[in-house]
Amino acid sequence: MLLVIAYSRGARGSLRNVTRAHEECVVRTFGRVALFAATEFGAFQALRLREKHGTEIQIEWTEPFNEFDRLRADVRDAVRVYESREEPATPYEKFAAGRDLPDPETMRGREL
Amino acid sequence: MICRVDDAVHTGRAVSLSGDVGPATVATAVREGVASDAGGTTVAVTARTPHPVHERVGCLRAGMALRVRTALAAAARARGLSAPQDPLLRRARQRLAAIRDEREGGVAGDGAALSTADARQRLAAARAETDRLRERVATVRGRLQAREEYGLATEDVRAELAAAARDLSEVETEAVAAQQTLERARRRTRETRDTLEERLRLEDRVANLERRARRALTERVRDAYAAAVAEVPGTGEPDDPFAADALTAGFAVARVAEFDAPVVVSGDRFESARAASRWLGAPVVRV
Repeated sequence: MLLVIAYSRGARGSLRNVTRAHEECVVRTFGRVALFAATEFGAFQALRLREKHGTEIQIEWTEPFNEFDRLRADVRDAVRVYESREEPATPYEKFAAGRDLPDPETMRGREL
Repeated sequence: MICRVDDAVHTGRAVSLSGDVGPATVATAVREGVASDAGGTTVAVTARTPHPVHERVGCLRAGMALRVRTALAAAARARGLSAPQDPLLRRARQRLAAIRDEREGGVAGDGAALSTADARQRLAAARAETDRLRERVATVRGRLQAREEYGLATEDVRAELAAAARDLSEVETEAVAAQQTLERARRRTRETRDTLEERLRLEDRVANLERRARRALTERVRDAYAAAVAEVPGTGEPDDPFAADALTAGFAVARVAEFDAPVVVSGDRFESARAASRWLGAPVVRV
Protein backbone atom coordinates (compact mmCIF):
# COMPACT_ATOMS: atom_id res chain seq x y z
CA MET A 1 0.00 0.00 0.00
CA LEU A 2 1.00 3.64 -0.21
CA LEU A 3 1.49 5.54 3.02
CA VAL A 4 0.77 9.23 2.50
CA ILE A 5 1.70 11.76 5.21
CA ALA A 6 0.91 15.49 5.16
CA TYR A 7 3.27 17.99 6.80
CA SER A 8 1.38 21.30 6.48
CA ARG A 9 -2.11 22.63 6.95
CA GLY A 10 -2.53 23.02 3.19
CA ALA A 11 -1.30 19.49 2.48
CA ARG A 12 -3.49 18.10 5.25
CA GLY A 13 -6.51 19.84 3.75
CA SER A 14 -5.79 18.43 0.28
CA LEU A 15 -5.22 14.94 1.70
CA ARG A 16 -8.54 15.15 3.53
CA ASN A 17 -10.30 16.24 0.34
CA VAL A 18 -8.81 13.38 -1.66
CA THR A 19 -9.63 10.75 0.95
CA ARG A 20 -13.23 12.02 1.12
CA ALA A 21 -13.69 12.23 -2.63
CA HIS A 22 -12.03 8.88 -3.45
CA GLU A 23 -12.91 6.47 -0.66
CA GLU A 24 -12.45 3.57 -3.06
CA CYS A 25 -8.69 4.09 -3.17
CA VAL A 26 -8.26 4.79 0.55
CA VAL A 27 -7.68 1.87 2.88
CA ARG A 28 -7.34 3.85 6.15
CA THR A 29 -7.02 7.43 7.31
CA PHE A 30 -5.52 8.68 10.56
CA GLY A 31 -5.61 12.47 10.87
CA ARG A 32 -2.93 13.74 8.52
CA VAL A 33 -1.91 10.25 7.41
CA ALA A 34 -3.63 7.87 5.01
CA LEU A 35 -3.04 4.47 3.46
CA PHE A 36 -3.89 4.39 -0.23
CA ALA A 37 -4.62 1.21 -2.14
CA ALA A 38 -1.74 -0.17 -4.20
CA THR A 39 -3.47 0.54 -7.48
CA GLU A 40 -2.57 2.90 -10.28
CA PHE A 41 -5.38 5.15 -9.17
CA GLY A 42 -4.12 5.15 -5.57
CA ALA A 43 -0.66 6.13 -6.84
CA PHE A 44 -2.21 8.74 -9.14
CA GLN A 45 -3.94 10.42 -6.19
CA ALA A 46 -0.85 10.22 -3.95
CA LEU A 47 1.44 11.68 -6.62
CA ARG A 48 -1.06 14.42 -7.39
CA LEU A 49 -0.77 15.51 -3.75
CA ARG A 50 3.03 15.52 -3.93
CA GLU A 51 3.03 17.39 -7.22
CA LYS A 52 0.99 20.08 -5.52
CA HIS A 53 2.68 20.20 -2.11
CA GLY A 54 6.26 19.00 -2.68
CA THR A 55 8.12 18.01 0.51
CA GLU A 56 4.98 18.63 2.53
CA ILE A 57 3.69 15.29 1.24
CA GLN A 58 5.60 12.09 1.97
CA ILE A 59 4.84 8.89 0.08
CA GLU A 60 6.15 5.52 1.22
CA TRP A 61 5.58 2.05 -0.13
CA THR A 62 4.43 -0.35 2.59
CA GLU A 63 4.06 -4.10 2.53
CA PRO A 64 2.84 -6.67 5.07
CA PHE A 65 5.54 -7.59 7.57
CA ASN A 66 6.51 -11.26 7.62
CA GLU A 67 8.67 -11.83 10.68
CA PHE A 68 9.58 -15.33 9.51
CA ASP A 69 11.04 -13.84 6.38
CA ARG A 70 12.71 -10.76 7.85
CA LEU A 71 13.71 -11.61 11.40
CA ARG A 72 15.99 -14.15 13.04
CA ALA A 73 14.35 -16.79 15.23
CA ASP A 74 16.10 -15.60 18.43
CA VAL A 75 14.23 -12.33 18.31
CA ARG A 76 10.90 -13.99 17.56
CA ASP A 77 11.44 -16.36 20.47
CA ALA A 78 12.38 -13.48 22.76
CA VAL A 79 9.04 -11.84 21.96
CA ARG A 80 7.12 -14.94 23.02
CA VAL A 81 9.10 -15.51 26.19
CA TYR A 82 9.03 -11.87 27.27
CA GLU A 83 5.31 -11.39 26.67
CA SER A 84 4.52 -14.45 28.81
CA ARG A 85 6.72 -13.29 31.73
CA GLU A 86 5.30 -13.48 35.20
CA GLU A 87 6.50 -10.12 36.50
CA PRO A 88 4.84 -7.57 34.21
CA ALA A 89 6.94 -4.68 35.58
CA THR A 90 10.30 -6.11 34.47
CA PRO A 91 11.82 -4.11 31.61
CA TYR A 92 13.14 -6.21 28.72
CA GLU A 93 16.75 -5.22 29.27
CA LYS A 94 16.70 -6.64 32.79
CA PHE A 95 14.64 -9.64 31.71
CA ALA A 96 17.11 -10.54 28.96
CA ALA A 97 20.20 -10.10 31.11
CA GLY A 98 19.99 -13.39 33.02
CA ARG A 99 18.69 -15.42 30.10
CA ASP A 100 19.89 -16.53 26.73
CA LEU A 101 18.00 -13.76 24.92
CA PRO A 102 19.21 -11.12 22.43
CA ASP A 103 20.11 -7.91 24.24
CA PRO A 104 18.38 -4.71 23.13
CA GLU A 105 21.62 -2.93 22.21
CA THR A 106 22.49 -5.62 19.66
CA MET A 107 18.99 -5.55 18.24
CA ARG A 108 19.16 -1.77 17.85
CA GLY A 109 22.31 -2.09 15.81
CA ARG A 110 21.05 -4.83 13.46
CA GLU A 111 18.94 -3.93 10.48
CA LEU A 112 16.22 -6.19 9.18
CA MET B 1 -10.41 64.19 12.47
CA ILE B 2 -9.86 65.97 9.22
CA CYS B 3 -11.77 64.54 6.30
CA ARG B 4 -11.24 65.85 2.76
CA VAL B 5 -13.50 64.89 -0.11
CA ASP B 6 -11.82 66.23 -3.22
CA ASP B 7 -11.47 69.89 -2.22
CA ALA B 8 -14.07 70.07 0.54
CA VAL B 9 -12.66 69.86 4.08
CA HIS B 10 -14.66 68.56 7.06
CA THR B 11 -13.38 68.57 10.63
CA GLY B 12 -14.64 67.49 14.02
CA ARG B 13 -15.62 64.35 15.92
CA ALA B 14 -18.77 63.87 13.85
CA VAL B 15 -18.67 64.52 10.14
CA SER B 16 -21.52 64.27 7.67
CA LEU B 17 -20.74 63.71 4.02
CA SER B 18 -23.72 64.29 1.88
CA GLY B 19 -22.78 63.37 -1.61
CA ASP B 20 -21.60 60.73 -3.91
CA VAL B 21 -18.86 59.02 -1.94
CA GLY B 22 -19.59 55.47 -0.76
CA PRO B 23 -19.09 54.19 2.81
CA ALA B 24 -16.52 51.57 1.76
CA THR B 25 -14.30 54.23 0.18
CA VAL B 26 -14.42 56.35 3.32
CA ALA B 27 -13.65 53.32 5.52
CA THR B 28 -10.63 52.52 3.34
CA ALA B 29 -9.52 56.14 3.66
CA VAL B 30 -9.76 55.84 7.46
CA ARG B 31 -7.54 52.76 7.38
CA GLU B 32 -5.11 53.80 4.65
CA GLY B 33 -5.22 57.62 4.73
CA VAL B 34 -6.44 58.12 1.16
CA ALA B 35 -8.85 56.30 -1.11
CA SER B 36 -10.52 56.95 -4.44
CA ASP B 37 -13.74 55.45 -5.71
CA ALA B 38 -14.54 54.35 -9.25
CA GLY B 39 -16.01 57.76 -10.04
CA GLY B 40 -12.67 59.45 -9.33
CA THR B 41 -13.70 61.06 -6.05
CA THR B 42 -10.79 61.10 -3.61
CA VAL B 43 -11.26 60.92 0.13
CA ALA B 44 -8.44 61.63 2.58
CA VAL B 45 -8.86 61.11 6.31
CA THR B 46 -6.40 62.28 8.94
CA ALA B 47 -7.18 60.64 12.26
CA ARG B 48 -5.78 58.23 14.84
CA THR B 49 -4.60 54.81 13.67
CA PRO B 50 -7.46 52.29 13.67
CA HIS B 51 -7.44 49.28 15.98
CA PRO B 52 -7.96 45.85 14.32
CA VAL B 53 -11.61 45.97 15.42
CA HIS B 54 -12.00 48.60 12.73
CA GLU B 55 -11.70 45.86 10.11
CA ARG B 56 -14.82 44.26 11.58
CA VAL B 57 -17.15 47.12 12.48
CA GLY B 58 -15.44 50.22 11.08
CA CYS B 59 -18.02 50.49 8.31
CA LEU B 60 -21.62 50.05 9.41
CA ARG B 61 -23.99 49.79 6.49
CA ALA B 62 -26.92 47.75 5.24
CA GLY B 63 -25.86 44.43 3.75
CA MET B 64 -22.59 44.29 5.69
CA ALA B 65 -21.20 40.86 6.57
CA LEU B 66 -20.24 40.20 10.17
CA ARG B 67 -18.98 37.28 12.22
CA VAL B 68 -20.41 38.50 15.49
CA ARG B 69 -18.33 36.50 17.96
CA THR B 70 -15.05 37.22 16.17
CA ALA B 71 -15.92 40.92 15.98
CA LEU B 72 -16.93 40.97 19.61
CA ALA B 73 -13.62 39.43 20.66
CA ALA B 74 -11.85 42.18 18.68
CA ALA B 75 -14.07 44.75 20.42
CA ALA B 76 -13.02 43.36 23.80
CA ARG B 77 -9.37 43.73 22.71
CA ALA B 78 -10.06 47.33 21.69
CA ARG B 79 -11.32 47.92 25.23
CA GLY B 80 -7.96 46.70 26.49
CA LEU B 81 -9.27 43.35 27.77
CA SER B 82 -7.09 40.28 27.56
CA ALA B 83 -7.64 36.53 27.56
CA PRO B 84 -6.10 33.95 29.90
CA GLN B 85 -4.54 32.26 26.83
CA ASP B 86 -2.56 35.37 25.84
CA PRO B 87 0.82 34.46 27.39
CA LEU B 88 0.76 30.97 25.85
CA LEU B 89 -0.44 32.41 22.58
CA ARG B 90 2.37 34.94 22.51
CA ARG B 91 4.99 32.24 23.11
CA ALA B 92 3.52 29.89 20.50
CA ARG B 93 3.41 32.72 17.94
CA GLN B 94 7.02 33.65 18.64
CA ARG B 95 8.20 30.09 18.14
CA LEU B 96 6.15 29.80 14.98
CA ALA B 97 7.64 33.04 13.63
CA ALA B 98 11.14 31.73 14.40
CA ILE B 99 10.46 28.53 12.47
CA ARG B 100 9.05 30.45 9.53
CA ASP B 101 12.10 32.75 9.44
CA GLU B 102 14.39 29.75 9.63
CA ARG B 103 12.62 28.09 6.75
CA GLU B 104 12.71 31.18 4.60
CA GLY B 105 16.35 31.78 5.42
CA GLY B 106 17.41 28.19 4.80
CA VAL B 107 17.56 26.18 1.62
CA ALA B 108 14.10 25.91 0.11
CA GLY B 109 13.12 22.33 0.85
CA ASP B 110 10.01 22.23 -1.26
CA GLY B 111 11.80 21.20 -4.41
CA ALA B 112 13.56 18.27 -2.72
CA ALA B 113 10.91 15.65 -3.49
CA LEU B 114 10.93 16.57 -7.13
CA SER B 115 14.66 17.14 -7.44
CA THR B 116 15.22 13.53 -6.35
CA ALA B 117 12.89 12.43 -9.15
CA ASP B 118 15.97 12.32 -11.37
CA ALA B 119 17.78 9.97 -8.96
CA ARG B 120 14.69 7.79 -8.64
CA GLN B 121 14.43 7.55 -12.39
CA ARG B 122 18.13 6.65 -12.74
CA LEU B 123 17.77 4.00 -10.02
CA ALA B 124 14.70 2.45 -11.65
CA ALA B 125 16.42 2.39 -15.05
CA ALA B 126 19.62 0.94 -13.58
CA ARG B 127 17.67 -1.81 -11.79
CA ALA B 128 15.77 -2.75 -14.93
CA GLU B 129 19.04 -2.76 -16.89
CA THR B 130 20.73 -4.86 -14.18
CA ASP B 131 18.02 -7.50 -14.47
CA ARG B 132 18.34 -7.55 -18.24
CA LEU B 133 22.15 -7.83 -18.17
CA ARG B 134 22.13 -10.57 -15.53
CA GLU B 135 19.93 -12.63 -17.81
CA ARG B 136 22.20 -11.90 -20.72
CA VAL B 137 25.31 -12.94 -18.77
CA ALA B 138 23.56 -16.18 -17.77
CA THR B 139 22.52 -16.88 -21.36
CA VAL B 140 25.98 -16.22 -22.77
CA ARG B 141 27.58 -18.29 -20.03
CA GLY B 142 25.24 -21.17 -20.94
CA ARG B 143 26.23 -20.87 -24.56
CA LEU B 144 29.89 -20.83 -23.63
CA GLN B 145 29.52 -24.04 -21.58
CA ALA B 146 27.65 -25.73 -24.38
CA ARG B 147 30.36 -24.84 -26.88
CA GLU B 148 33.05 -26.09 -24.51
CA GLU B 149 31.21 -29.38 -24.06
CA TYR B 150 30.99 -29.87 -27.80
CA GLY B 151 34.59 -28.70 -28.30
CA LEU B 152 33.65 -25.74 -30.50
CA ALA B 153 35.50 -22.44 -30.83
CA THR B 154 34.84 -20.21 -27.80
CA GLU B 155 36.82 -16.98 -28.41
CA ASP B 156 33.88 -14.92 -29.67
CA VAL B 157 31.55 -16.13 -26.93
CA ARG B 158 34.19 -15.44 -24.28
CA ALA B 159 34.57 -11.89 -25.55
CA GLU B 160 30.80 -11.49 -25.55
CA LEU B 161 30.61 -12.75 -21.96
CA ALA B 162 33.34 -10.37 -20.84
CA ALA B 163 31.55 -7.43 -22.47
CA ALA B 164 28.23 -8.40 -20.85
CA ALA B 165 29.89 -8.76 -17.44
CA ARG B 166 31.52 -5.34 -17.85
CA ASP B 167 28.19 -3.75 -18.76
CA LEU B 168 26.55 -5.42 -15.80
CA SER B 169 29.21 -4.16 -13.41
CA GLU B 170 28.85 -0.62 -14.77
CA VAL B 171 25.12 -0.54 -14.41
CA GLU B 172 25.35 -2.02 -10.90
CA THR B 173 27.71 0.80 -9.93
CA GLU B 174 25.23 3.27 -11.38
CA ALA B 175 22.43 1.75 -9.28
CA VAL B 176 24.53 2.02 -6.11
CA ALA B 177 25.34 5.67 -6.84
CA ALA B 178 21.68 6.53 -7.43
CA GLN B 179 20.73 4.68 -4.25
CA GLN B 180 23.27 6.69 -2.25
CA THR B 181 22.06 9.97 -3.72
CA LEU B 182 18.55 9.03 -2.69
CA GLU B 183 19.59 8.10 0.82
CA ARG B 184 21.37 11.42 1.31
CA ALA B 185 18.32 13.26 0.00
CA ARG B 186 16.10 11.22 2.28
CA ARG B 187 18.11 12.27 5.35
CA ARG B 188 17.89 15.92 4.34
CA THR B 189 14.17 15.63 3.66
CA ARG B 190 13.64 14.02 7.04
CA GLU B 191 15.17 17.07 8.75
CA THR B 192 13.01 19.40 6.67
CA ARG B 193 9.95 17.39 7.63
CA ASP B 194 10.86 17.50 11.31
CA THR B 195 10.72 21.29 11.03
CA LEU B 196 7.51 21.16 9.02
CA GLU B 197 5.97 18.89 11.62
CA GLU B 198 6.90 21.32 14.40
CA ARG B 199 5.45 24.19 12.37
CA LEU B 200 2.20 22.30 11.84
CA ARG B 201 1.98 21.46 15.54
CA LEU B 202 2.49 25.13 16.46
CA GLU B 203 0.00 26.33 13.86
CA ASP B 204 -2.61 23.98 15.27
CA ARG B 205 -1.76 25.12 18.77
CA VAL B 206 -2.01 28.80 17.84
CA ALA B 207 -5.35 28.23 16.09
CA ASN B 208 -6.66 26.35 19.10
CA LEU B 209 -5.49 29.01 21.58
CA GLU B 210 -6.92 31.75 19.38
CA ARG B 211 -10.29 30.02 19.39
CA ARG B 212 -10.25 29.66 23.15
CA ALA B 213 -9.06 33.27 23.63
CA ARG B 214 -11.82 34.50 21.35
CA ARG B 215 -14.39 32.59 23.34
CA ALA B 216 -13.06 33.96 26.65
CA LEU B 217 -13.02 37.54 25.34
CA THR B 218 -16.52 37.23 23.90
CA GLU B 219 -17.71 35.94 27.24
CA ARG B 220 -16.30 38.97 29.04
CA VAL B 221 -18.28 41.49 26.97
CA ARG B 222 -21.35 39.34 26.38
CA ASP B 223 -23.62 41.29 28.76
CA ALA B 224 -22.49 44.66 27.47
CA TYR B 225 -23.18 43.42 23.95
CA ALA B 226 -26.66 42.09 24.80
CA ALA B 227 -27.53 45.44 26.42
CA ALA B 228 -26.23 47.31 23.37
CA VAL B 229 -28.27 45.16 20.96
CA ALA B 230 -31.42 46.00 22.90
CA GLU B 231 -30.71 49.71 22.46
CA VAL B 232 -29.81 49.85 18.77
CA PRO B 233 -32.36 52.21 17.19
CA GLY B 234 -34.72 50.80 14.61
CA THR B 235 -34.89 47.19 15.76
CA GLY B 236 -36.99 45.21 18.18
CA GLU B 237 -35.22 43.35 20.94
CA PRO B 238 -34.27 39.91 19.60
CA ASP B 239 -34.57 36.77 21.77
CA ASP B 240 -30.95 35.92 21.12
CA PRO B 241 -28.58 38.89 20.77
CA PHE B 242 -26.26 36.72 18.65
CA ALA B 243 -29.10 36.18 16.16
CA ALA B 244 -29.57 39.91 15.49
CA ASP B 245 -29.18 41.07 11.89
CA ALA B 246 -25.63 42.00 10.87
CA LEU B 247 -26.15 45.76 10.93
CA THR B 248 -27.78 45.73 14.39
CA ALA B 249 -25.08 43.40 15.69
CA GLY B 250 -22.44 45.63 14.09
CA PHE B 251 -23.74 48.73 15.88
CA ALA B 252 -23.84 46.84 19.17
CA VAL B 253 -20.30 45.50 18.76
CA ALA B 254 -19.09 48.98 17.80
CA ARG B 255 -20.71 50.39 20.93
CA VAL B 256 -18.93 47.78 23.06
CA ALA B 257 -15.60 48.57 21.38
CA GLU B 258 -13.57 51.71 21.88
CA PHE B 259 -12.43 53.64 18.84
CA ASP B 260 -9.66 56.11 18.22
CA ALA B 261 -10.26 56.21 14.49
CA PRO B 262 -13.62 57.24 13.03
CA VAL B 263 -16.39 54.74 12.33
CA VAL B 264 -18.20 55.06 9.01
CA VAL B 265 -21.98 54.90 9.35
CA SER B 266 -24.50 54.84 6.53
CA GLY B 267 -28.26 54.34 6.47
CA ASP B 268 -31.00 55.80 8.59
CA ARG B 269 -30.53 54.16 11.99
CA PHE B 270 -29.32 57.52 13.28
CA GLU B 271 -30.60 60.90 12.14
CA SER B 272 -27.20 62.60 12.27
CA ALA B 273 -23.50 61.97 12.54
CA ARG B 274 -23.56 63.54 16.02
CA ALA B 275 -26.31 61.21 17.22
CA ALA B 276 -24.42 58.18 15.95
CA SER B 277 -21.18 59.45 17.48
CA ARG B 278 -22.81 59.98 20.88
CA TRP B 279 -24.48 56.57 20.82
CA LEU B 280 -21.33 54.73 19.73
CA GLY B 281 -18.98 56.81 21.87
CA ALA B 282 -16.74 57.09 18.83
CA PRO B 283 -15.77 59.57 16.11
CA VAL B 284 -18.15 59.08 13.18
CA VAL B 285 -18.28 59.84 9.48
CA ARG B 286 -21.87 59.57 8.29
CA VAL B 287 -22.27 58.88 4.62
